[in-house]
Amino acid sequence: MMTSLLKTEWLKLKKYWAFWLMTGIVALTYPGINYMMYTEAYKNNLNDKTMGPILRMIPNPFTFPDVWHTVSFISSFFLFLPAIVVIMFITNEYSYKTHRQNVIDGWSRNQFLLAKMIDVFIMSLVVTILYVIVAFILGNVNRGTKEVNVFSNTRYIGLFFLLNFSQLSIAFLIAFLVRKAFIALGLFVFYFFPLEPLLVALGRERANDAGRYLPLEISDRMIPIPRMFIAGDKEWESLVSQSNLHIVYSIILTTVIWTICFWVNKKRNL
Amino acid sequence: MSLYNQNCTSNAASLPSFQINPMSSVLTLNGITKFYGSIRALNNVSFEVPQGSVFGILGPNGSGKTTLLSIVLDVLKANNGSFLWFGQPGSPEQRRKIGSLLETPNFYHYLSAVDNLKITNSISGRGNDADIDRILKKVKLYERRKSRFKSYSLGMKQRLAIAAALLGSPKVLVLDEPTNGLDPVGIAEIRELIVELRNSGHTIIMASHLLDEVEKVCTHAAILKTGELVTIGQVEEILMDEDVVEISAADLNALETVLKQLGGTVNIVGNTVQLILPKGTARLEDINSFCFNKGIVLNHLLLKKKRLEARFFELTN
Repeated sequence: MMTSLLKTEWLKLKKYWAFWLMTGIVALTYPGINYMMYTEAYKNNLNDKTMGPILRMIPNPFTFPDVWHTVSFISSFFLFLPAIVVIMFITNEYSYKTHRQNVIDGWSRNQFLLAKMIDVFIMSLVVTILYVIVAFILGNVNRGTKEVNVFSNTRYIGLFFLLNFSQLSIAFLIAFLVRKAFIALGLFVFYFFPLEPLLVALGRERANDAGRYLPLEISDRMIPIPRMFIAGDKEWESLVSQSNLHIVYSIILTTVIWTICFWVNKKRNL
Repeated sequence: MSLYNQNCTSNAASLPSFQINPMSSVLTLNGITKFYGSIRALNNVSFEVPQGSVFGILGPNGSGKTTLLSIVLDVLKANNGSFLWFGQPGSPEQRRKIGSLLETPNFYHYLSAVDNLKITNSISGRGNDADIDRILKKVKLYERRKSRFKSYSLGMKQRLAIAAALLGSPKVLVLDEPTNGLDPVGIAEIRELIVELRNSGHTIIMASHLLDEVEKVCTHAAILKTGELVTIGQVEEILMDEDVVEISAADLNALETVLKQLGGTVNIVGNTVQLILPKGTARLEDINSFCFNKGIVLNHLLLKKKRLEARFFELTN
């Protein structure tokens, strides 16, 4: 059954130029933004009179094993790009009314949604693969003579995938409930930035950091700010321990999101 | 009680209790009721669609035709009642065996006719690449098979929807307003196609408000009015709810006087006298000999069928 769902989804996407355009934009943005951060924020500052001595004191965040963490953190800011692709491929079904036709032609309602869940999974996988390629290349470019374990920090590959799947599922939920492309895009992008960051900041200042339980922040905190920005070991350990807790929260949130989707899809008129 | 030829009133309580025999029916509806908020779109609708029939579902706009078809195709959920396809509760497996066109042609706008039909094939398992070409030739879209759906005219979109329903030659077809958007030639072609399918043993369930279309191709019909089943039966029987005999002779006034002795209603309409008798009671030989015995020689004697249009207005107004 999964193969059949995958085959059908592939038939829908393979000649959809907007999908390839957006995927192309994602494929260019991720290496681009990471390279920019590497050159502008790190490499070019190494010889800066003020920043240079500080940067030279800390391990290079763009070499192994830290590069897995750094690149995943930077890339997570640009997740709204694959989210646009996810929103497009679900709202298309509603604007073309093909969500009905797929069921009329013989899918169950659950199969239709499962096919969409596979799309979100694959999109998360594609973005993760892109991140792995970017991190691997940057890590190798900066690899010195010192022997390092290339794969020692690769837990961030898993975390980045989970972050993708969790946040793209939120984008999917909005699009699935709203059904209209522009409204869904507007809502998601507005929530992604500036609404949730604002609420998180407010929560941090006034509500005992309650913003950490907001939908995107839950998974964002799986990948803490890179080690180079953290002064003390104690603070770093606290962030890592929070990250472990947020892995569980993210899994719970993503499960809840898909449970809502399947429940609503079963009950509502198509 | 026979299932067919039941004249129903709009009062749900007086609907006849049908003897349902799901095994011989392609589709069996049992007390289907549907609400949109406080609006009752369907009220306790029950009927059967016999195998091999061309079953027309008629009704004015908003009578519940599309709602009814949407329920049996699992697009809408009924508030009450149940339905059986081939004697079994509806399921995706059964829908794969049914070619359906519901309301509007629903396709991926950025894909061509061929690519859209490949998706239909991938989901339903009906047809193959050769069948896609064959069916596109049949609906006269083959020359434009590689053009994107969004570049099609309304008629072409409708033809593609019919092609999708016909893919793999399913034994049962559900067609909601199949001639929507088609030009007169297209309408005639679809009518011929439906007759051809009927003759080759397909069962076709067709919703339409085009009465002429239904009268020409359907074997059975159900008429809905604001969600109520008003009548159901063979089209011939629905049309002939009473016998209308058209009679003419040299002296129409004398003929009228004689015919009044037979009972029924007698009216002079143009150059003929119209005799209306209870359904099934008009015997043309008896009328002819009765008039002859009374000294009137008839020059015209015809048992007329009522047009579906007239019957439809009677039932839905």
